[in-house]
Amino acid sequence: MAVAAIDGRPASLEAAVAAAARLLGASRLPVIAGLGTDIAGARAAIALAERLGGAVDHMNSAALLRDLDVARAGGMMVTTPNEARLRGDRLLLIGSALLTAWPELPARLLTPPAPHPDGAPLDRRIAWLSPGPAAPRFPAAADIEEIGCDAGDLPGVLAALRARVAGRSARRTSVADKMLDMLADELRGASFGVAVWSAAELDPLTLEMLAGLVNDLNAETRFTGLPLAPPDNAWGVLQACGWMTGFPMRTGFGRGYPEHDPWRFDATRLIESGEADGAIWISAYRPAAPQWKASTPVIALTGPQARFGRTPDVHIAVGCPGIDHDAIEYLPTTGTLAMVAGKTDVQTISVARALALIAAAIPGIGALAC
Amino acid sequence: MLTCLKGGRVIDPAHDRNATGDVWFRDGRIVEAPTGGSSADETYDVAGMIVMAGAIDIHSHIAGSTENAGRLLLPEQHRASSASPANAVLSGARSSTFETGCRYAIMGFTTVVEPAVAPHQALQAHLELADVPIIDKATLAILGDDDFLLGLMRSKESAAAVRDYVAFTLDATRSLGIKVVNAGGAAAFKANVRRFSLDDVVPSYGVSSRAIVKALQHAVNELRVPHPLHVHCNNLGLAGNADTALATIAASEGLPLHLAHLQFYGYGREGERSFSSAAARLAEAVNATPEVTIDVGQVMFGQTVTISSDVLRQFNARNQARPKKWLIFDGDANGGGVVPYDYRRTDFYNAVQWAVGLELFLLIEDPARVFFTTDHPNGAPFTTYPDILALLMDRDLRAQWIATLPPAAIAVTTLPSIRREYTFAEIATMTRRAPARLLGLADRGHLGAGAIADIAVYSEHRDRAKMFAAAALVFKHGDLVVRNGEVTHYRWGRALAVRPDRDRAIDTRLKHYYDARYGLPHDIFSVPEGAIARDEPFELVPCAS
Repeated sequence: MAVAAIDGRPASLEAAVAAAARLLGASRLPVIAGLGTDIAGARAAIALAERLGGAVDHMNSAALLRDLDVARAGGMMVTTPNEARLRGDRLLLIGSALLTAWPELPARLLTPPAPHPDGAPLDRRIAWLSPGPAAPRFPAAADIEEIGCDAGDLPGVLAALRARVAGRSARRTSVADKMLDMLADELRGASFGVAVWSAAELDPLTLEMLAGLVNDLNAETRFTGLPLAPPDNAWGVLQACGWMTGFPMRTGFGRGYPEHDPWRFDATRLIESGEADGAIWISAYRPAAPQWKASTPVIALTGPQARFGRTPDVHIAVGCPGIDHDAIEYLPTTGTLAMVAGKTDVQTISVARALALIAAAIPGIGALAC
Repeated sequence: MLTCLKGGRVIDPAHDRNATGDVWFRDGRIVEAPTGGSSADETYDVAGMIVMAGAIDIHSHIAGSTENAGRLLLPEQHRASSASPANAVLSGARSSTFETGCRYAIMGFTTVVEPAVAPHQALQAHLELADVPIIDKATLAILGDDDFLLGLMRSKESAAAVRDYVAFTLDATRSLGIKVVNAGGAAAFKANVRRFSLDDVVPSYGVSSRAIVKALQHAVNELRVPHPLHVHCNNLGLAGNADTALATIAASEGLPLHLAHLQFYGYGREGERSFSSAAARLAEAVNATPEVTIDVGQVMFGQTVTISSDVLRQFNARNQARPKKWLIFDGDANGGGVVPYDYRRTDFYNAVQWAVGLELFLLIEDPARVFFTTDHPNGAPFTTYPDILALLMDRDLRAQWIATLPPAAIAVTTLPSIRREYTFAEIATMTRRAPARLLGLADRGHLGAGAIADIAVYSEHRDRAKMFAAAALVFKHGDLVVRNGEVTHYRWGRALAVRPDRDRAIDTRLKHYYDARYGLPHDIFSVPEGAIARDEPFELVPCAS
């Protein structure tokens, strides 16, 4: 299998690197997009974008920024997957995308952990709001109350729930009043309740209502949130972007310093508007390809199986982090960055290595600082 | 290469030097002046300048997931405005790790301790620190709210078990010491406790906050970890909390104990607003208790963000956020909170806080037991250090500041009556010699032969703030990294860590514990040797023999 290609034709790695360096060297505003990579790859991408005066975005920035926006506009209480698992006696699950976001959720949250040697077993009760039409199968041990409602009704339902939790009257919603009252009592009866959601499918108003509901419940008891991170190491890349630039993704370096603007530096907008005149697309975890229509030159760093609507100008096959090589990445099960050892002996290069080679081949860029 | 800094005023309290002289170094280490007329390969004329060892900050929140949450929560507060030069990449990215290293280096700091790393978040902290250029750094790991320790204490296990667990934690997190934060408070908060003091008991464990502090103090001491237990007391920020600090000082009971950011515990209940400075009482207690060291956590006016692992305190403070946004995090053990805050000159409480910090600096007699911090960024960003040094060295400057503050606030402090002015030698003791000794770094903080050639050279200026804001020359391991207040190039420092011996049976026990409790491998949170992709990212600091 070819390790690299230029205009769809197999090429050596050296030739592909040189071609990529030429494209980037000629670009006024390159965007590094996708960013499905480990911490080392993200660090190299951000450092390269800074040197090139380009921009960085992640394919799951939209969901990530919806959660972040609620925190940076008001407030949010969150916890770890471990605490939710060990201590959460009332779980409020919201939406139908939870198992997509965290396939291990049933094993980690829906079956109670073994009781602590010195502690009483956890009396866990679970309510699942808007689980969707194709409700997933749950472990038989889980005690789950499903409360159907359309995703579009969630802001209203959560607003009514907040009102009922606070003892105020609320407008009718698509969920029966009696059910809402019962749910409000359940939540208020928590010792340590946890709301679990995935911003991938929830709109900003729903997230704001959820954050408010969690905060309100803390007037009397303990309640917190567990936002599930989007895939492709989005949360890990967010961390690296945060410490390196001060900002989340959708940050540009055109003026020599980082500027964060979720609209201006949206990669799809930059490409389709023609503002960006070059792109690096990175998707090392799975063969995701961009759906861009513009004819902007694209350098793709993906697994060998990726299928593109338009053949990238340069393609370099990279290894899957934590499979083909050791990687540091966000683990949904720990809620932290962790080192994951490689499991294969496939001889593919990492995103970080590919970007370092490209950087070194661009006149005036050279070695990346990190 | 042999280098000579010629003719500067050399201030090195470790060797009683405070006079014009030369400093020589070769291959990154200070050497004796050569005899027999051999000459330097490189000479810097530093006549009229002040030469000190590189400064050491023992408590500054510069890395880790909570600090990073602060960056992400407040994008509007660190808009950048200047481009980064190619020799200092991303240094213009405000609040980034790169800017942090550059700003510290420019002020003449060469070693900084990130004092609050949750063991399960240690890898991220070290990744961030690895992207802090120039300076060396270290972490303190937080224990005291973790189920394993509290479980050991509940079942009255031996001191040896606690020791082995502490040693395991230092190893797994690659830390230089242990911190305890409102001991037991985070665990209590998970059980819906909202106020938690030294003799309160963590629900379901039956262990008091005091007992946790004592167990960890003994463990750290018996493991011969150089840095004593680093204590963030209970009741941070509350009126009348000086009593808590006094009780904690008394609890040192003859063994070393470090109290962090004591300013935030320097409050009495006097005056019309039942809020007053208790700094004089605290200073008196510190002066009378030689085994206790403290750092100040000075408040300076302006916008900042409070970042703390004291989740209970941050939860209770979230509605005072300025601007109104916050993040509260229940962690696997401590968790934490990010609450932005704007300290205002016109605010009675903020003015008292400012005065309390300066009173502590000035009333604690031994500059080797009071450490120079703002608890960055909680009292103020570390970039305010030059202004604070100027205030300590100049009582007239203090009087000018006092004149601009609410008189009612100053009236509940002793600050206007204090005439003391810090000397250069006292500054060097407080920011160089004493921190190196407190952390067990024998080859730092002084300019004697064999020391690492971490050296800061300042042009003497009557405006001390101006002088300390931008060093004329800074050498890191003998490498010129700052010239005329500008970074010349990056180099990558190391994270300093201790690794005391332990009975490895604790590892097996933790393996079973993590498997049963978390369903995870016990080493999944450890910082592996190869995690940091830099040459020699760690440096082992010996424990006392």
